[in-house]
This record gives sequence, structure tokens and C-alpha cells, in this order.
Amino acid sequence: MADQSTFYLEIITPERQFYIGPAEALVFPAVDGEMGVYPGHEPVVTAIEPGELRYKANGQWEPAAVGSGFAEIKPDYVILLVGFAEHPEEIDRKRAEAAKARAEERLRQKQSIQEYYHSKAALARAMARLKAKR
Amino acid sequence: MASIKEIRTHIKSVEQTLKITNAMYLISSSNLRKARKQLNDVEPYFQKIETTISDILHHSPEIDHRFFDKRPEIPAEKRKVGYIVVTGDKGLAGAYNHNILKLAEHKLEKTPNASLFVVGQVGRSYFQEHGIPIDVEFLYTAQDPNIGRARDMSELMVELFLKESLDEVYILFTKMVNSFRMEPTVHKLLPLDPDVFPVCEDHSPYHQHVTYVPSVKAVMDRLVPGYVKGDIFGALVESYCSEQNARMTAMKSSSDNARAMLQNLNLSYNRARQAAITQEITEVVGGAQASM
Repeated sequence: MADQSTFYLEIITPERQFYIGPAEALVFPAVDGEMGVYPGHEPVVTAIEPGELRYKANGQWEPAAVGSGFAEIKPDYVILLVGFAEHPEEIDRKRAEAAKARAEERLRQKQSIQEYYHSKAALARAMARLKAKR
Repeated sequence: MASIKEIRTHIKSVEQTLKITNAMYLISSSNLRKARKQLNDVEPYFQKIETTISDILHHSPEIDHRFFDKRPEIPAEKRKVGYIVVTGDKGLAGAYNHNILKLAEHKLEKTPNASLFVVGQVGRSYFQEHGIPIDVEFLYTAQDPNIGRARDMSELMVELFLKESLDEVYILFTKMVNSFRMEPTVHKLLPLDPDVFPVCEDHSPYHQHVTYVPSVKAVMDRLVPGYVKGDIFGALVESYCSEQNARMTAMKSSSDNARAMLQNLNLSYNRARQAAITQEITEVVGGAQASM
């Protein structure tokens, strides 16, 4: 790579290609805490938790909410495959809050393991949206 | 020659059918446009997830993980194989349903210990009619595929696989090669097999040592269900698109046929009417001449 100050970033969801282009830095929620990536990172494969993501493109930090998925990192190239990705302005705060309340309500009730995981996942998605919106 | 009345009823019935086929053609073409858009949106994800997984698999050969366990100790005739068969909810879509069901039957012949998970009403009623047992709890429609449905299906498959209720899971769906060619396809979902993924051609030096954060197991535990979900979703979207396309083509050709038929019928109707008029005139003239 001639240009070492950026890497090629792709954020792809089943619904759309969220971002494709050069980026200078990236911070995303990994399984065991936030993970930062600069150009020239060692090759890593890791999983992504629902949460807030930030990437720096053209000197500007862009926040976004992402769902669970995984990331493949190479020195000059990062690909994120996630369940959803949204810009803060696309997030409907009321809807996310309602979803959070609903998930919390469900978690309080007796339910099967499967349902418990579903509710937890729904809660995590709602929290991720709210966090990015703030 | 058929009587005028007969021809007229025939024309009416053909007109009715034409109305229906034409309406179905319009509906499926608008559905197809929507499905195409969805397919275009999901395709990059589908392809990327495939290449990324294949990348990972080819560059980390010694992954010892439950999703990669092929269970070689189980002999071929005892292996429990799950097939997800994606059919349409309705018929009248040309050979679409027929082709995928034929493929499913072919697969069933080869595997004695198969369980069927059928998406779509046509497939369900077909297997019920033929007395082939299917999973009755697995009730999903083929209409408007969404990611939530794909998630439910993949969760079920992963669970059955891990419980060893199934040793292999395949999905049978119709791939849309282009708008004129649709191919019923089999795709292996679980266990992950590096051999079925195409070897990617690039040999950049980085690939040799890939680190898994925090560990191979933790990453694979998340990555594989995500992959299965993405794969199922892609298959559902692809099938839905193929179904609409097949229906559109079928309805277009039947509308065209109906129009050609109407033309012929109108011709013979007019001919019969003309013959009747001519005959009447002849009779009148004949009667007038006789009375003169």
C-alpha cells in the first residue's frame, strides 16, 4: 500500500452497504470491550457486539449504531459484517426507547432460555441505538 | 362448426381467465421489482460473508470447533441429514415449485435418514400428499423474506445440529442466474466444510497468521450462527425473487396464449354469425321466389 495513513473500510449489512471507502481509524464494540483499529493492524478476526461504532473518515469521526456480527481485519483492509448499521440521524429515539422498555418488560417475566436470549438480544440492539443517538 | 352460443360462452370464459392471468402478471411484476431490489441489497452481504468465511477457513487450517465437526464416526446410512426446502406459497409459477421439489425428492432418495423443513405452502402440501413426513412445527412463509425469520430458522438449525439431532444441514433453494434461468441449488449450511468454499485466489502475505480475539472458540461461536443466518436469508430472498420471476413469465405466456385464442375465437364467431345471416337471407329470398 502506497498510502499508509488510511485503510479500506467496508461496513456491510443484509439491507445495504453502509459504508465503503477509506478510513483513518475505527473503534468498534468487540466481545471483550471496545477495540480500536489503525492502518497496519495485525490480521485479526473478531466478533462484534451490538453497540456504538466510530470511524474516522476525512478527519471527521462518524458515529453509528451496529448490531452483532463479525470483523475481519487486515493491515490495509477492514470488513465488518453486521446485522444492522445506522447513522444517529436515522435512529428513531422513541422507537428505540419503546423497544428497550418492551425488552426489559419481557426479561422480567418467566420465559424459556430461547426467549430469554431473544429478549436480551433485543435489549442490546435497543441500547446500541440509544447510545449512538445520544 | 360450433354454434354461435357455444363460441360466445367460450369467449367469455377465456376473457375471464385472461383478466386473472393479466392481474397476476401485473402483481408479480411489481413484487419482482421489490424482490430484485432486496436481492441487490443482500447480495453483497451474502458474497462477502462467503468470501470472508472461506478466507478464514483456508488460512487457519487447524480449527477444532464443534461447528466444524463432521462427525466421521457416524456411517453414511445412519447420518441424520436436515434439508430446508424453500418453495413458494402459491402455485401457478411455471416449473418453479416442480423443479425444487424434484431436487428435494432426488436428495431424499439418497439419504435414508433425512428430516425435511419446508418453507412455503406448496411444498408442505406436496410432501403431505405424498406421505413424506416433514417437520410440522417449522411454519414459515415464503412471502416477503425478512432477517427475523432467517434468524429463527438458523437458531433452530444450529440448536438441532449441536444437540446432534442432525449431523448435516443443507438448504435447497432456487438460484436466480439471470431473469431467464433459474436453478434449483443445494447449499451446505452445517458443519462448515472448507472444501465446499472456493479457494480464493489472492495470496497476500498477511493471511498466514490470523489472530482470533479473544479466542477461536468465542469468535466461531458468534461467526458461524451469523453466517448461517446470512446464508438462509440470502437463500430466502433469492427464492422469493425466482418465484416472482417464474410466475411473471408463466402469467405473461398464458396471457399471450389467451389473447391468441380470443382472436381465433372472434374470427370463428364472426364467421358463424355471417353464415347465419347469409343463410337467413337465402331463406327469405327463397321463400319470396316460391310465393311469387
